[in-house]
Amino acid sequence: MKRRILALIMAVSMLAVFALLPSCSSSGKKSKVLFEVPAEGYDGSDVNIVFYHTMGQNLSSVLDAYIEEFNKLYPKIHVTWTQVGGYDDVRDQISTEISVGGQPNIAYCYPDHVALYNLAGAVAAIDNLIDSTITVKRADDTTEVLGLTTEQKNDFIEGFYNEGKQFGDGLMYTLPFSKSTEVLYYNKTFFDENNLKVPTTWDELEQVCARIKEIDPESIPLGYDSEANWFITMTEQLGSDYTSASGDHYLFNNETNREFVKQFRSWYQKGYVTTQNIYGAYTSGLFKAESGTRSYMSIGSSAGATHQRPDADENGNYMFDVGIAPIPQKNANNRKVISQGPSVCIFNKTNPQEVVASWLFVKFLTTSVEFQAEFSTASGYVPVLKSVANNPVYSAFVSRANGGAYISALSAKVCLEQEDAYYTSPAFNGSSKAREQVGALLVKCLTGDDGGNVDAFIKKAFEDAINECEY
Amino acid sequence: MAEDNRVIMHEKDLGKVKSNAKVGGIIGKILVYVFLIVMALIILFPFYWMIISSLKTLEEYRMSVPTFWPKVVMFSNYSEAFTVGSLGRLFLNTVFVGVVSTILSLIITVISAFAFARLEFKGKNILFAGLLATMMIPGELFTITNYGTVMGLGWKDTYIVLIVPFLVSVFYIYLLRQNFMQIPNELYLAAKVDGTSDLKYLWKVMIPLAMPTLISITILKMTGAWNSYIWPRLVANDAAHRLITNGLRNAFTETTGDVNYPVQMAAVALVSAPLFIVFIFLRKYIMKGVSRSGIKG
Amino acid sequence: MVDSKNSWKAWIYLSPAIILLLIFTVWPIVNTLRMAFLEDYSGLSEAGGAVFNFGIGNFVKVIQYQRFLDCLKTTSLLCVITVPVSTVLALIISVALNSIKGLQKVLQTIFFLPYVTNSIAIGMVFAAMFNIVGSFLGTENELIATAGIINNVIEFFGGQHVNWINVGSTYASNIFVMVVYIVWNALPFKILILLGGLQSINKQYYDAAKVDGTSKFRVLTRITVPLLSPMLAYVVITGFIGGFKEYTSIVGIFGENMGPADANGRLNTMVGFIYDSLSQNRQGRASAAALILFGIILVVTLINLRVSKKRVHY
Repeated sequence: MKRRILALIMAVSMLAVFALLPSCSSSGKKSKVLFEVPAEGYDGSDVNIVFYHTMGQNLSSVLDAYIEEFNKLYPKIHVTWTQVGGYDDVRDQISTEISVGGQPNIAYCYPDHVALYNLAGAVAAIDNLIDSTITVKRADDTTEVLGLTTEQKNDFIEGFYNEGKQFGDGLMYTLPFSKSTEVLYYNKTFFDENNLKVPTTWDELEQVCARIKEIDPESIPLGYDSEANWFITMTEQLGSDYTSASGDHYLFNNETNREFVKQFRSWYQKGYVTTQNIYGAYTSGLFKAESGTRSYMSIGSSAGATHQRPDADENGNYMFDVGIAPIPQKNANNRKVISQGPSVCIFNKTNPQEVVASWLFVKFLTTSVEFQAEFSTASGYVPVLKSVANNPVYSAFVSRANGGAYISALSAKVCLEQEDAYYTSPAFNGSSKAREQVGALLVKCLTGDDGGNVDAFIKKAFEDAINECEY
Repeated sequence: MAEDNRVIMHEKDLGKVKSNAKVGGIIGKILVYVFLIVMALIILFPFYWMIISSLKTLEEYRMSVPTFWPKVVMFSNYSEAFTVGSLGRLFLNTVFVGVVSTILSLIITVISAFAFARLEFKGKNILFAGLLATMMIPGELFTITNYGTVMGLGWKDTYIVLIVPFLVSVFYIYLLRQNFMQIPNELYLAAKVDGTSDLKYLWKVMIPLAMPTLISITILKMTGAWNSYIWPRLVANDAAHRLITNGLRNAFTETTGDVNYPVQMAAVALVSAPLFIVFIFLRKYIMKGVSRSGIKG
Repeated sequence: MVDSKNSWKAWIYLSPAIILLLIFTVWPIVNTLRMAFLEDYSGLSEAGGAVFNFGIGNFVKVIQYQRFLDCLKTTSLLCVITVPVSTVLALIISVALNSIKGLQKVLQTIFFLPYVTNSIAIGMVFAAMFNIVGSFLGTENELIATAGIINNVIEFFGGQHVNWINVGSTYASNIFVMVVYIVWNALPFKILILLGGLQSINKQYYDAAKVDGTSKFRVLTRITVPLLSPMLAYVVITGFIGGFKEYTSIVGIFGENMGPADANGRLNTMVGFIYDSLSQNRQGRASAAALILFGIILVVTLINLRVSKKRVHY
């Protein structure tokens, strides 16, 4: 039997060699990434557009309404969408589909997804579309410029818009769709009772933590949900290196970074802080706890405000009032806070009209104040346009802001005030690996046994993380 | 022949053993029950968890200290699951794919296992070894190639693509072959002498004898249709062909991208109910066993 | 022993299976081989027009991975422990289930229930059972919100809570949790198969044993196990094959981290490594790892087959 199996393996290997031959002779056919706009712009032909996203039902119904609006302008562009699952599902699905050219026209994306698709040159760089001055006729006898006008471009929140150019080649690949960020949730009732000042810097945060520990020694003053966000945000605030989209990718092993990690380690050891992975559950659970160990501050996603709100009693009163503030900073002149949430990218197609039509649709959604206002209200995400703040629907939503029933509005309000602070990290194939590694690195450095030499311990952990990334 | 030796061996063994006391029997019975009940409780725990989770609010589900009974019993999760998930179509698709692929798969498995267990042909052992070898490569690597194949065949968004690629399971062929091998060869030879055709012999003798195993395969295959996720999403994620697991995973995503697990659990419990009833029905057949009068085994 | 003139008949019977396997299994395997021997092969890069050199670089790269041996160790350890434990346990449960009269239906139904239990629910249960929610574990600041059901039981009997899977836990306790989880997961399938096998055993043997007054244990070792040996061989061999492909169960307990939060990747397995490579579209590396895994499973299966040839009675 053994010999036969070996013979079989030999046979299969022979087959494989035959399979190899044609692939070696395949000629290079690197598709052009930068999309060339056809001279006529959109020619009014029938085009089918497929859009992959992860929206739940309440959001896709908003989308449907705006597809209908869009079709009043362009009745021959037929948009269909598929809800693929989560973000990773979209990535896995599309990277398989690209291999046989079956990818959609438009997709929800995170920067590292685009870096992956770019291995195949599948995503259209939209620089020429943005700059295009071709006039396009619409069905209601009005016209529009195919590209973005200066006002439209300037209306995008800068930090969100720049995410599209994070790929190391200077080209623009994505437009922001809807975004979220991190905010500091604090127990307002407790802060007011004890005359505590909401920290705006990390130094103040440390002092507040010390005060809280004195008042309630059983507490863990701060819960930070995402270790990776914490690490990356600190590198941005300190202006130290994290990663680079070109050249040497993984740059986070440096003195400045090891220093702040060491500081946080001392905080952890004083019992000031915990994180989701250290705590073993969402830190919002700690924040909302009604008895026993609890936290009084929690840094988490701005889109998850309702999860940070304590349970209501029978009368609909919440156990305590939640306050929301921007996250602490290192330097008031260099405010940085992470930008998360989906962007959209457009895929190259053999028929350029499909790309142009996709662009028209993407542009319609991302530059429409009404859509952004409605979508943000429904999702709790941050709109990507500055002028949404002046939209009557959205400002009515934000004006209701409070720490109880309208906590999402409160979160949105805080986000509006920090629109100059958003950053995004460089994107390349492997950038998500760096994210994973720095998150784990922070947990390790906070909690690990240093064997008597903190610096050597931290240094070793950083080196291991770099090795994992570079493998 | 191996069987002859074995029978002799057993008769020898049986003869040696003396009867044991009745008291020991009763204590043994009690121990058996205690053991089974403890194991049953352990096995049951996830099921219990699924049910209570389906009755919790999302807030309670996310609490860091898990509760063993919902504070507020949310039967509304079930009605929400039913309305949000458009379960009807998903359910029909899944039943269709499940039943058709189970039947076809059973046919292929039976005739293949028969060939391996009963027929002699050149290259049988090497072929069987080859089949076993295919089980040893992680299937995740097949996805991309198979995707290319079915796209080339123009099968995207069809029932065929959900049924055909996974009709052959080496696991099941191997399982049934093991079962068939136990049926004495003499029966087959006798049938040959009588002029019974292979298929008739297969139908009249081997299938009835292997019924418990075939039922097991049916259960596994049906469950597979219920749980398959990655492949259907890739090749047939349109409304007309979508299967239940994809539908469920898609339907209950919160605005923040979190899944509303309580409602999802409720939906799972809902769609599992028919499956469960079928199992209870099939269980009878497994446990009825096989009357083997007239067959020396 | 059977006339071999009819071998064409066998091929006809096998043809549907063979044709489908050629298309949907053998061809992908050939493709796997191709990808494994193309240096740094990536399907997406190929779609973008990249050309790859023929070579064994992928294999070298896999073996050079600093945690390659750790992956191998964890994989083998889990396999060697869980397969025997789950098989013996499933055998005892099946035999016990087959031997009782009262409650039989109820208990059988319960042992079928895992099939209709959602896999997410199963993962959640374990997280809840072993997970300690709390912070500063093992330090003087230790604060615990809940120690988990297992620890509650241990404390009820006067023991100390154990850090099973959280920050600061040991490799041994991680492996222990994985063993419990994998055995638990594997039980229903094995019980189903063995129960089916038991039902195919001729009752005459037991009747004969009853007449002779053979002890229960002897009936088990001398009648049941030999007659069930084809099914036991099946369960063991497929158990080993599945065990070497262990991955999802670890994600179920530890998440994509593949280890406690402070030691990510500690419980990574061969298939985990393959997934990791696939997520960056490095199919060449993934294929090479898969072939190495294939080689290992092949050797183990050959040993298994050799042993079972001696022990299995058909």
